[in-house]
Amino acid sequence: MAGFSELIKSFDKTRDYIRDFFIYGFKRRGDFQRRSSRTYDDEKRRAESWLGDVLCADDSVRGRQISISVDCGHIYENPLCQAYCAKSFTDNDIRLHMLLLDLLADGSTRTLNEIVDGLLDQYDAAFEPQTVRGKLKEYTAEGLLITEMRGKTAYYRRSPETTQDFFAQYDGLADAVRFFSLGDRFGEIGTELLRSAGLKNEMFLRKHHYIVHTLEDILLPEILEAITEQRAVLLRTFSAKSREKADAKGGTFEAVPMQILSSVQTGRRYLAAYLPAERRFHAFRLDFIRTVKPADPVQDYNNLADAYRRSLRHVFGVSFAERKDVRNVKPMRLTFRFDPQTEDFIADRLQREKRIGTLSRTGSDLYTLTADAFDPNEVMHWAKTLIGRIVAVGGGNAAVREKFRRDIRRMYQMYGGAPHDDLS
Amino acid sequence: MTIFHEMYGAYFRIAAKVLGQPEISEQALRQIVQQEGFRDSVLFVPQKLIPQPDGSDWGLLRRTDSGMLRRITQHAPQMPLTLLQKRWLKAKLSEPVMQLFLSDETSAALNDALRDIKPLYTPEMFRTVDAFSDCDDFSDPLYRAHFRQIVQAIRNGEVLLIRFRSGGGERIHTRFLPFALEYSAKNGKFRLYCRRFRAGHLTGTGLINLGRIEKITLTGIRMSQQRSPAELFAARKCTEPVTIRVTPARNGVERFMMEFASYEKHSELDTATGCCTVQLWYDRQDETELLIQLLSFGPVLEILGPPAFRAKAAERVAKQYALLFGQQC
Repeated sequence: MAGFSELIKSFDKTRDYIRDFFIYGFKRRGDFQRRSSRTYDDEKRRAESWLGDVLCADDSVRGRQISISVDCGHIYENPLCQAYCAKSFTDNDIRLHMLLLDLLADGSTRTLNEIVDGLLDQYDAAFEPQTVRGKLKEYTAEGLLITEMRGKTAYYRRSPETTQDFFAQYDGLADAVRFFSLGDRFGEIGTELLRSAGLKNEMFLRKHHYIVHTLEDILLPEILEAITEQRAVLLRTFSAKSREKADAKGGTFEAVPMQILSSVQTGRRYLAAYLPAERRFHAFRLDFIRTVKPADPVQDYNNLADAYRRSLRHVFGVSFAERKDVRNVKPMRLTFRFDPQTEDFIADRLQREKRIGTLSRTGSDLYTLTADAFDPNEVMHWAKTLIGRIVAVGGGNAAVREKFRRDIRRMYQMYGGAPHDDLS
Repeated sequence: MTIFHEMYGAYFRIAAKVLGQPEISEQALRQIVQQEGFRDSVLFVPQKLIPQPDGSDWGLLRRTDSGMLRRITQHAPQMPLTLLQKRWLKAKLSEPVMQLFLSDETSAALNDALRDIKPLYTPEMFRTVDAFSDCDDFSDPLYRAHFRQIVQAIRNGEVLLIRFRSGGGERIHTRFLPFALEYSAKNGKFRLYCRRFRAGHLTGTGLINLGRIEKITLTGIRMSQQRSPAELFAARKCTEPVTIRVTPARNGVERFMMEFASYEKHSELDTATGCCTVQLWYDRQDETELLIQLLSFGPVLEILGPPAFRAKAAERVAKQYALLFGQQC
């Protein structure tokens, strides 16, 4: 284990391993074949170091398996945010960071030369002007420093606002950050804000909380920036079956990003995008995207965005399907039976969960939901949450209707004790 | 601007905390490393902070004659807000739930302070595809007032007299000690975890939907929880986990693992069949929600136990079979 470090240079490998430890929980050392055993050992040790008690090792009949076992609904901090606290750096990086911020702590404005001299005089720290210039430029971009040009000379000063100042000045903000630190829109930024102010969340919890989303956040800034700038992006993806390499199903795509879609029921997040090469919309799973790179501006972005919004009227979940499929699909019609007097909670459920569907009362105890969806499979997956209430399934296509009937037969056999056929 | 930057890292945080004191002992330094760092940081960080004869340390401390470590900096480090953090805060100002935390005046003042900052995202860049449509109204003044009373009560350990309608429509007016607020993005609702306060004692734990609260009155009674939240949550758990066998058909294992990722669970794979057996622990109050979520997988998974849980699944399936095929086998 010589040369082991808790810190990492890039996020890719780690994202991959942590996700597998968390999502599957049954994989052994030998199951991680996409990289060497040494890599597995390092990643496992790193995960143990970052995550402490939430990482478990169990001895199964197949061997020792590593899992991240968390009751995500009852945690006050997302343990996976730790991955964002592990970026590697050089000795110069940390030294220059501490000294620069100390030198400029008095609010003074200084030139590069004055800063280089100040570092030498006050801390006996000799840095090349080139090194300092690079750091000043980087910290200006990150917002730690403010640069003013006076003629041709750049003057630098420290940005005056600190987290503590903000929390003290804006009543309720610290609690808001506590709450948002568990959210799936860059919760790790909230966690870092709390830590830098010496605060903790000990009040807010999240139900239906998919903590693994934080690992996908690494991709989002590029995507969101591209949406803002109306640019395309180049996506490198991998398929579910061979995540270790860009295979035939994975590969590289030019895509025009539209929106980040998230499902609070399946735990997945997607990038909805237009694929110019295929002239259609598609939803890419974020956890199957390796990298995102900005590409060219898209001239007709607004027209595509309009078309996207129109498409959404037929998207029940995230599937835009393919046009050839759409032609064969009719609106799904699902009829449910319940007693409106004593089981009005079913009507409430239908009303709040119908999404693009329309609901109408079609009998004294019958309600019919009609959903004109591109992908009837998505409607049927949801419909199965109402098993025990479905009187009739119409529309969609014959395959979907038959699949539902077959599934119910198999489930009936399964729970009635009779043997059932293999699934297809 | 990047979210994966060393300045947000544990080692920088450790160094900043150590430099927060003009002088520090080696022992105190190691304690900070243990508190702020990762589990193994104590193997790597102290030697980078403590001056080394070969100069391999970070050069931030000097050893004094008394053996203490003195910082070479002059001030306790204060990290400015980064652009990324400001952009994140600006984005959060547009989320409806923010209204629960900030008054309109505070929100306007913060917005003004961040007027030149571009938000990290706008609400329309994200879409939750399956959130329920009857979410709570976070702009409702009464809801906002209740929310703030609850937050203060949790912080102060104050018992509240709460009048609310239960899920069954019953009106309840009782004293509770709140201890946590839970938000569900699926439901778009907050629920209050609390303990019933009766005759000076705390009993059981309950959940109250904030949207069903009609009135909250402060009682002025303050007391500690007596039991940790972890103990209280554990007491709400099922006594026996649900055991499920998931088949690999229709990518069932992967789909199941993703969808149930938020549950505490233990899984084991049978390599011969590709089936995965999962034990899953849940809050007893969520049993019906779990049941319908499992049934939505169809025959891809089978609920093996406990018998009472399996029987509930079987009952629903039998009812569905009768509705579709007109008879039960």
